[in-house]
Parts: sequence; structure tokens; C-alpha cells
Amino acid sequence: MMTAPDFARGGGSMELLRVVDLAKHYDEEAAIAGVTFSAAAGEVLGIVGPNGAGKTTLLEAMAGLVGADSGNLLWLGDALPPAHRKAAIFYVPDGVKPYQDRFTIEVLTFFGSVYQRSASDLASAIASLELKPVLRKRVSTLSKGYNRRLLLAIGLLTPHRVLLMDEPFDGFDLRQTRNIVEVVRKAAGAGRAFILAIHQLADAERVCDRFILLAGGQIRGIGSLRELRTQTGISQGSLEEIFLALT
Amino acid sequence: MYPLLAKELAEILSGRALWTMLLLICPLIGFSFIEAVSLYSEASTAALQSPAAAATLSPLDGILVPTFGSFYVAVTLLFPFVAIRVLGQEKESGALRLLVQLPYRSSTLVLVKLAAILAAWAAASIPVLSTLLIWALLGGHLGASETANLLFGHSLYGLLVGAISLFAATISDSSATAAIVALATTIGSWVLDFTLAGRPGLSAWVAKLSLTQTLQSFEQGLLSAGLVLGMVTVVGGLAALSTVWLPPGTPTRVKFARSVPCVLATIVALGLAAQIGASADVTEDRRNSFSPADQKLLATLRLPLVVTVDLAPEDPRYIDLRRNVLGKLERAMPNVSIVLAGVRQDQAGQSDAYGQVEYVYGGRTDFSRSTSPREILPLLYELAGTKPPAPIQGPEYPGYPLVANANVTLLWFFCGLPLLIALAWWWSRLSPAVKS
Repeated sequence: MMTAPDFARGGGSMELLRVVDLAKHYDEEAAIAGVTFSAAAGEVLGIVGPNGAGKTTLLEAMAGLVGADSGNLLWLGDALPPAHRKAAIFYVPDGVKPYQDRFTIEVLTFFGSVYQRSASDLASAIASLELKPVLRKRVSTLSKGYNRRLLLAIGLLTPHRVLLMDEPFDGFDLRQTRNIVEVVRKAAGAGRAFILAIHQLADAERVCDRFILLAGGQIRGIGSLRELRTQTGISQGSLEEIFLALT
Repeated sequence: MYPLLAKELAEILSGRALWTMLLLICPLIGFSFIEAVSLYSEASTAALQSPAAAATLSPLDGILVPTFGSFYVAVTLLFPFVAIRVLGQEKESGALRLLVQLPYRSSTLVLVKLAAILAAWAAASIPVLSTLLIWALLGGHLGASETANLLFGHSLYGLLVGAISLFAATISDSSATAAIVALATTIGSWVLDFTLAGRPGLSAWVAKLSLTQTLQSFEQGLLSAGLVLGMVTVVGGLAALSTVWLPPGTPTRVKFARSVPCVLATIVALGLAAQIGASADVTEDRRNSFSPADQKLLATLRLPLVVTVDLAPEDPRYIDLRRNVLGKLERAMPNVSIVLAGVRQDQAGQSDAYGQVEYVYGGRTDFSRSTSPREILPLLYELAGTKPPAPIQGPEYPGYPLVANANVTLLWFFCGLPLLIALAWWWSRLSPAVKS
């Protein structure tokens, strides 16, 4: 198991969340084991790994939606038990079509009203994710890309400082991915931390400040691209080459 | 909490289950109502010539109970599908993982879902409520207290079926599994009732757990505090269990461990509720009570009365005795114990004592084979050493015979109401306006 040197991007950024030795087994098989890392305000952290690496389990265990066998989370240095995590973290899962019989605008309005967001916040989320064409469509009729945008909009409407997102770029073409990267970067610039599970390394390289390379439920490397290059000794290597070297 | 409640209500309205149920129950309830009116009219034709026969005609028995009976069948068989939807859809689509992250407690989520289920029951009761209006328009009489009591009983029953369905949805991965669990409970309860009702001892106690039995008191015009508390307790227990089983991140063994105190608390509360004998006779004809003079005198007989009945529970004489005498005595006197000799129908008649009822009061004993209060009450007064009371003059129940033809309402139940429901369904599916 490798653990990251504890630092936040930009040196002065405040560490919001620390994951300490998180582990989860399904029967005898370890889905994640001894996962330790931290996330700072304004940071976009990518959990990178192939299918079955334990990315989703890690996010769900962090959100408290899956009971971890051991390990804990610290929020600003204090313990963050599973029951209190929803106050600090919001997790946007993959493959969810929320409230399929409802209209897109109704779903967004619901989440906006739960978190008491203003009409301008709602309009801003709709505009940034280009959801206007589908506001009067039922969720069940949305394409994969628009459904993904809807989920991202729900995430942006929450007031949480740490957002966990599972495969946020799945279903987008290159141009759309770049737009979404911009949205994420803008939100991060406002002080939010994003922890994204991504299996497309090229997408991860575009958006993330730091990477957690996960394989077989264990962290194989962690750090910025420059740090990972130093760790592996591949001075001009891409994330893909580094990942292959470390796993 | 308002956005959550609004979302749950909109979710129920946006699904097909509620509308389909409404469309299905329109003809079912309409047919039952028209049949009930037809039979009531036949009985009324003869009763119009005789005040004594008229006094036996009560709209509660003749119209309300049969019509609401078909609603009971619909709620038992169809309502679980509506109720399961409030959670099943979220489980299947994965939206539950978003829902449990919202800033609400699990108990709040469950209570709001139960509120939405109750609202769905209210919507589903529109066809049966329309029968009350039609009956009144036909010139029929509706006793306010007995009608309200019956409605209250059915709403509690709807909430009970809803709570069972919600819990089934909480512990099941899919709506289909939840439907099987919920229907196994409701239909299994029927089977329990059919097979065990009327048997003595433990069988009788188990049969009392049947959902079918819960409505009987309300149909007889009794508002029983113990029964109401018992039903509310079970709904509360199921809600507590749903709260325990809702969060997806809690290990199953922890959920089982947390369920134990919920189940124990529910059992204790049920046991306490069963001890509450207080009930009110809300019928206009006071069918569950003796005459006011007898009620007043019996209430003063404070020594224990022990009644030992040598009859099989399923014997019609016992059923008569129970309805005409024993049930009323339990309500009128402060200390009554009824003991069944435990005879079964197949052994009945093998003993000369079969059919005999022993009454013991204040150390004195008497026997009778009668099932009529006209014979039993004087016997009791003699045992108590008191004179029968002078009758108190008051208004007699006149009965409410009505000869009416409700066939024309077929149009309402088979065309008008379904059309209105279909229109409401269409309106509910219109896309909302979006501010530009």
C-alpha cells in the first residue's frame, strides 16, 4: 500500500477532508484496502483506475452509503462518523436516473428548494450545464449525456464543500467533456473540493490537479502529474504510462 | 420538510399505479353500491308497511358496509402497488442514494412517505366517497357518527396496508419482491382469518392478528380505543422498522440488532393496547348497547361477573349470544370475564350440558340457554339482588327504509368518474411552465 505525502495543492489550500486507512471487504475479497489520502479546498482530485479497481466502493464508503469495515474520515481534523457525512460531503452516483416520471425542471427545483438555493443559483446551474433544452422533458426520456448533466447540476446545487462524483464524464463527447471540465474547474475555483472517480485517463488528465491511482482496491500512486513522474522516473510520461508503470 | 412532502405527493401522482387503481375500483365500487341499493330497496318495500320492520333497516348495514367492503378488497389487493411506489421507484432507479443524502433524518423520510401514502389512500377513496354523496342525493340517510367511524376505520386500514407495503419496499431490492412480500402479508392474513377464526385458545388469538378483523368493529359501529391504539402501534412499529432498514450504508447485522427493540416495543405496546376495553357505540340504533336504563343499572354492578359458555365458537348460538348479550355486557359492566368451554363443533352435542351458559355473580350462580337479553338481563338482576330498572322513555330508532333505483349511477361509475380520472391523469402529466 502506498499513501500520499500529505499536502494540498497550491501549498496554502486548506485540507478539508482526510480519509484514513479505509477498507471494505465483500466476503473474502478486498474491494478497497488501507486507502488513505486527503483533499483540500479548491482541489480536483481524480481517483483513477480500471473497472473493478474499487473506485465506486471507495466513494460510497466515503459517503457512508456502504458500510466500511475499518478506517475513518476526518473533516477539518475532526472525526466524521458515517451518520454525519451527509452534512459535509455530497456524492453524485453513476448510473442513476432520478425520478424518471418527473420533468427535469421539477427535479432540479426539488433539490434547489431542499438546499434553499435561490432562483439565480438554479438558473446558473441550468445555464452552466446547458440543460435548458430538456427542462420540460421527463427524466426517463433524457439521453445519457443529459442525464449526466442533470446529476452534475444536482451536485452543483448542493452547498457541500466536498463533492464526490462517480464517472462524471461518462457519456460526453470531447467538446462536451471540455465544457464540463470548465464547469468543474470554475466550481473548484470558488473553494469546493471535487473527488472524481474516472476510468478514462485522458479525461482525468484534463481536469484533475492530483491523482489517486487505484488498482485492486489499493492505492498504487498518489500526487500531481509532476510528482507521479518523479515517483516513477518517467520524466515526460503521460498519466497512462505512469499508471501502467505503477500497476 | 415541505419540498420533500411536495416531491412525494408529486411522485405518487406522476406514476401510473394510483390512476390505474382509481380506474379499476370505479366499476367495482359502483357495482357494489348499486347492488346494495337494490337489496336495500327490496327490503324497504316491505318495511314501509311496518314500523317494526323499518326499525331493522340501517344504511350502515345495508349500504355503507357492503360498498366499503369492495373498497376494502381493492385496498388489500391493489393499494400495496401504489404504496410500494413511494420507495420502490427510488430503489430501482438508484435515486435512493441521493435521497438519503438530503438533510433529513431517515425517520423524517419515512414519515413523509407515510403521509404521501395516506394522501394516496384519500385520493383512492374518491369513488367510495362519491357513493355517500349519491346515496344522500337519492334521499338516503347517513348517520354522521357511524359514517365517520367507518371512514376512520378504513383510513386506518389503508394506512396499515400502506405501512406494510412501505416496510416491504424497504427490505426488498425490487418493487416486484416488495409486492410479493406485501401481498403475502395481506392475503396471508385472509387465510389466517378463514382457517383460524372461531377456534378457541391460541388459534383465536392468532386469528385476531388478521388484518380482516381490524375493520369488523368499525363496521359494527364501535369505536374501540384499544383497536385504534393497536392499529396506530403497528403502523408506528412498521415505520420504525422502515427507518431502521432504509439507510443503505448500515450493515445488515446492525439493522437486525436495531430491529429487535422496535419489535419488542411494538409487542409491549400492542399488549397494553389490548388491555384497553374502552369503546363507544356510535351507531344511531345503539345496537352495541342495552337500553339506557339497563346500561345505567349494569354499570353499578361492580362485582366480577363470570360467564362460562358451553358452546363451540363457530356455533350460530354463540355468535348470537356474543352479539346480543356478551359484547354488550363487556361494554356495560366494569368487570366481566367470559370463558369458553373450548368445545369444538365436531364434539358439540355429545354432552347434555352443551348449549348451557353459566352466570356467576356475587357468589350466586344461574344457568340459561337463551341468547336473548330479555331473558339474560332479568337473570343477572336476580343474581345481583336488584330489581330490573324502569324503562327510560326516549326516541326509538325509526329505521331508514328507502325505495330507490341507483341503476342510473352506472353511468357515473362506468363513464363519468373514469373520464374525470383520466382527465386528471392527463392534466397531471402536462409539462410544467418554465420561466425563460
